[in-house]
Amino acid sequence: MSVSPAQGAAERQPGRDAAGLLFAAEMYGLQLDHLAAVLGVGEARARSVAARWRGQRYAESARLGPGGPWTWVTRAGLATCGLPYAAAPPALSRLAHIRAVTAVRLALEAAPAYAAGAGYWRSERRLRARMGGRVGLRQHIPDGEVHWPDGTAVAWAGECWAIEAELTPKTTSRTVAIMRQLLTRTGDYGCPAAEIVAAGPPRHARVIYLCAPAARRTVARAREALGSSGARIEIRLLPPGAAMPAPARHKAARARSATALPPAATPPLHRGAAP
Amino acid sequence: MIRRWLSLIAVRAALRAIGRVLRIAIIAALIIAAAPATLVAAIGAALAWLRGWPPARLYRAALWCLPMVAVWLAATAIATRSASAVAAAPYHAWLSLWHGAHPGSAAAVAAIAPVAIPVGLAAGGLAWAYRIRSMRTGTAGLSPDAAVSFDLRQWRHQARSARARIAAPGAIPLTTRNGSLVAGAVIRAVNHRGGPIASIPYSRMRSHQVVIGTTGTGKTTLLLRLWAGFMATALRRHAAGQGRLPLLVVLDCKGGADARRIADRARRVMRLAGARSTAIWPDEASLSLWALPPAQLTTTLVDLIEHGTGAAAFYADVMEAVVALAVEAPGGPPASAADFLARLDSGWLTGAYSSGEHEAELALIRSAARQAGDIALRFRTLLRRLGGGLDGPGGFGDADAWYCILEGTAEISVAEAQARAIVDILASYAASGSQDREILLAVDEFSAVSRRLPVWQLYERARSLGLAVQVSAQSWEGLAAGEDERYRIAATADGGIWLLRTPHPEPAAALAGTRRVTETTRHLTGRTPVWSHRGTSRMALDPVVDPDLIRALDVGQAAYIFRGGVTYVQVKRLVTAPAAVGPATAVTPPTAVTPATAVTPATAHAEPTLAKPVVTAKPTTASHRLPDASSLLDEAFGAEPAP
Repeated sequence: MSVSPAQGAAERQPGRDAAGLLFAAEMYGLQLDHLAAVLGVGEARARSVAARWRGQRYAESARLGPGGPWTWVTRAGLATCGLPYAAAPPALSRLAHIRAVTAVRLALEAAPAYAAGAGYWRSERRLRARMGGRVGLRQHIPDGEVHWPDGTAVAWAGECWAIEAELTPKTTSRTVAIMRQLLTRTGDYGCPAAEIVAAGPPRHARVIYLCAPAARRTVARAREALGSSGARIEIRLLPPGAAMPAPARHKAARARSATALPPAATPPLHRGAAP
Repeated sequence: MIRRWLSLIAVRAALRAIGRVLRIAIIAALIIAAAPATLVAAIGAALAWLRGWPPARLYRAALWCLPMVAVWLAATAIATRSASAVAAAPYHAWLSLWHGAHPGSAAAVAAIAPVAIPVGLAAGGLAWAYRIRSMRTGTAGLSPDAAVSFDLRQWRHQARSARARIAAPGAIPLTTRNGSLVAGAVIRAVNHRGGPIASIPYSRMRSHQVVIGTTGTGKTTLLLRLWAGFMATALRRHAAGQGRLPLLVVLDCKGGADARRIADRARRVMRLAGARSTAIWPDEASLSLWALPPAQLTTTLVDLIEHGTGAAAFYADVMEAVVALAVEAPGGPPASAADFLARLDSGWLTGAYSSGEHEAELALIRSAARQAGDIALRFRTLLRRLGGGLDGPGGFGDADAWYCILEGTAEISVAEAQARAIVDILASYAASGSQDREILLAVDEFSAVSRRLPVWQLYERARSLGLAVQVSAQSWEGLAAGEDERYRIAATADGGIWLLRTPHPEPAAALAGTRRVTETTRHLTGRTPVWSHRGTSRMALDPVVDPDLIRALDVGQAAYIFRGGVTYVQVKRLVTAPAAVGPATAVTPPTAVTPATAVTPATAHAEPTLAKPVVTAKPTTASHRLPDASSLLDEAFGAEPAP
């Protein structure tokens, strides 16, 4: 059996494979283009890596929605990674959101300052796992947290950021309430109820909102409504590649949609081992 | 007879043609003979046209060349030791250029350069002045609209040069050596002294000023620059023992999130200018209404409540009497809102005045006892709406700059009451003389809250207390509610009027007055229109400020009107540290600061132009800020989208 150079290179890099598996596990699942970006290979090579994971029963793949197939980590894969999450395929209703959050994480991790600051992404799945099913009805969990260890070269070392990806606009009052929760929370997720909002510095030094154009106005209005504490909220647009590809009915339509969509090129990662 | 007449005409035409040819030949010969100077003159005039320079700039350049001439003549004198040789040196240099051993060589050009450059620059300046004058008076140009096109083209050139100047690092300092405030680069000056940099003396910031400009025209940038200039200059004067400590009080009468962003910018700008602390009211700092002297406190409290007229005036009198009794009670004035509200009770008042020496007051309390409850209710409502910003602790002496945000858009009546109270507190602070400060009160969109505090009243009080007031508005109409008040504000702006783009600049522009200009009419002759040599000139009065030019000003361009002249300025934006996010911890009012004594050079991150001795900035409890992370976010996601 002949082995292509790319395949050979990937097999010689088990660390990168493991990082990809951990990344997929943390993010609920990955679509093919994002998996390729995480592994730092082309889509064809990423497809074969996913096939190998399937063969090892570490992951499952399926075409869940428009665009490339999704890969998610199975119970065996999660056990191998040592992650105490409940194994399940990504929920169909959350595919777009999961994809947007993944794009945000990839864009952030691709920035050199992220590596310089030794940033650490704490995923929503990890936060929910810490809470152990004790998430209150109106309690909001961010789409991710970024922790910046002390003693690094960046000015914001020692901070913790909350990341929110907004694809569709909520009501302004709901957005304000979420912002207020994130800004005033003092305790870690999973902490006793008395520590959620207590004396001491807030848990999130700032909240980063990554918005689709449709949601930007509502988020901006909500920030204004917060007054001076709104200054701790940063608003940016979602990076390219965050949107789900439009469903293509036939070849011509697929070609048209490929030209209409923004480039889904995902920046290469400059990242060490997955957290 | 006819033949003779025709031949005479032909001879006259031939002579005229020969004369013209001769004249052109002589001029051409002179130009060629003076080739080095001519070349410099042509280059100078062309540069002046291209950059929109005034002729004076070429004259100044010629004057700056005179040391070179002096050195050259001195060298000649030393070499030849002969006065006649020195006198003939320019002639010999010119001669050697044309007839020397190597005519036109680099050495010959270098020999004539010390004379040719200043002469050429002066000649270029004269030619450029002649061109401007003839275009302005309408005696030049090939087409009837040549003068208008020339003016528009020159404006474009001047604006381009000014933009280039402000873009050059270090070209526009915040203040000059003599303590003037620099607003930016001069685009054009009319009846004002020209120059590359637009500066105004510090004394103008100690007088009233008016700033008019619609949203998005660079008004905030200009105001921030003026405030920073005021702060930096005043601090330097104070450090040199020439002036008092400055105090800048900004009343932002619009409120909202925009006001908070501007407040954040103002804080950073003030920090760069050397201010030790900037308090943002009411978000991060508070003032104490209860620190007012009792008599003033009574007046202020009564004025905060809206009264009716006619029969309702009776209740106003009753209210004033009860408030006076509560404030001037024997135990001393109230220390807080809760203390004051507790006193608005007939039982409390009776007890306070029951020492036996206040029979008249007790009689008053008995007669007003029925209204005391209503009065307490009104004040409880008012003080609740005013919030804790006026309930202390704190005072204007606690910070070098105060940025007061009044929610004039969302809650007009509350903002009106707050404005009234803040101005009263400031007036009391200025009048107390406990801390002698040079105070600049800047009010943005004051008309939003001026119903309860007429701006003329503010002006009069400010004048009597030695405060300078800077009123800014988005339009002429936004200055005040009535036309009389607007004119009163603009006419008393001793420190000048700043006009940015605004759709109705005529009233403010008219305050600059008119100037005498020469208007020339010329005749067009022939089927193909050609200018004839006939025409008339007359003196006319032209407005100093062209309202259409104001209407067409670009972002960042402003017209500064002062004493019958105008200077068009390209305002230089102050480069400050990146925007910082708000405090992550609970904010506390700024603590009192002691007068700084150390004078150190500005820190490394300050704008290079601010690298002058400034008073050391002292960290305050209110200024605990997060570091800027926008570099990472911009890199990963791009800049924050525009609203």
